[in-house]
Amino acid sequence: MDKDFINENKTIEEIKNTFHSAEAKLQRKNRIIVKLRSDLIPPFLSYAKNYLSFDHLAHFSCVDWIEDNQFELVYILYSYEKNIIAIVKTRIDREKAEFVTVKHLWRQAETFEREFHEMYGINFTGNNRLTEFILEDWDDIPPMRRDFDTMQYSKENFYTRPGREDAQDVREVITKKSGEKIPDFAKEFSVRKLK
Amino acid sequence: MYNDKEASKIVDIIKNFARKHSLWIVAYGTGCGAIELPPTMTSRYDAERFGIRGSATPRQADVLLITGYLSVKTLKRVIRTYEQMQEPKYVIGFGSCTINGGMYWDSYNTIKALDRYLPVDVYINGCMPRPEAVISGFIKLQELIAQGKADGAKRYQENLEWYRENQRKVIKNWRMPEYNW
Repeated sequence: MDKDFINENKTIEEIKNTFHSAEAKLQRKNRIIVKLRSDLIPPFLSYAKNYLSFDHLAHFSCVDWIEDNQFELVYILYSYEKNIIAIVKTRIDREKAEFVTVKHLWRQAETFEREFHEMYGINFTGNNRLTEFILEDWDDIPPMRRDFDTMQYSKENFYTRPGREDAQDVREVITKKSGEKIPDFAKEFSVRKLK
Repeated sequence: MYNDKEASKIVDIIKNFARKHSLWIVAYGTGCGAIELPPTMTSRYDAERFGIRGSATPRQADVLLITGYLSVKTLKRVIRTYEQMQEPKYVIGFGSCTINGGMYWDSYNTIKALDRYLPVDVYINGCMPRPEAVISGFIKLQELIAQGKADGAKRYQENLEWYRENQRKVIKNWRMPEYNW
């Protein structure tokens, strides 16, 4: 197996030698996953871009881990030279959601950061364009946070035409049909507050 | 020979006949329904045989199609577009999102009943309605026009207060121009 992934394993080794605390592993062909402490992210991304030839920030996303009280930031980098995708994950505190910008490395990161600022309320220091982006006149907590109750907000703000009261919860219907149980964490954050 | 009332009746019939055969749609697509319009317009379904055509600007159009979900941000633009249109003007609600929210019934940013904010003449249901359904909706609108029942613009003017109140409820920062009809 090692024979097939020479490039990938070589990159993983290089990462491990430079950043000892990094958890780097091979996911499958052309794809590696790196998990890092959040304070190592700016030097790591700079290193990945300049020395490992990951020139391209293909995607940048955010996951709300409300159970762990953390936000996970996922940088997806691509190297044209090696044809490898590197998924770089880090976790930051949810209460004091602050991180540093990487727009000096990739300009498109600025737009992603604006979106996270609006949708998750993460403040990126160094990014001076964290203004109103997609939502207009938003006055509630950021809507993509999992503790935001979208149904309640919708009920309070928008008129509901009667006639849909018998609508069923999709998750409930599926679990009833297949006989499996709804996991506890899903119950807690389900829209209908299942028990 | 005719008295005024009868004369105006005949004029109305002629006017409505002409109007129903010349429906110009604003080229304004909201949501995903706009993708059904190119097949409706082009050779396969050929809506032009009913006198339905696209128009570039709201000031030269008769029909405003709300094709799908309306976010609050889009609603602002739609209201401005609608108020810029000249009479006669008609609104068609297109797809289940405009009727009761459709699959966006619990969304934080989309309105769920279009007729609270704009006067709707015809609803076409479906998700999405196929071109046949779109054309059948237009024919319904033509019937209403011929009978003189497509009076959405009149209703809007008469109940402007009520519509404004609903609009202001969802558009929190109201920076809209006031048009003088």
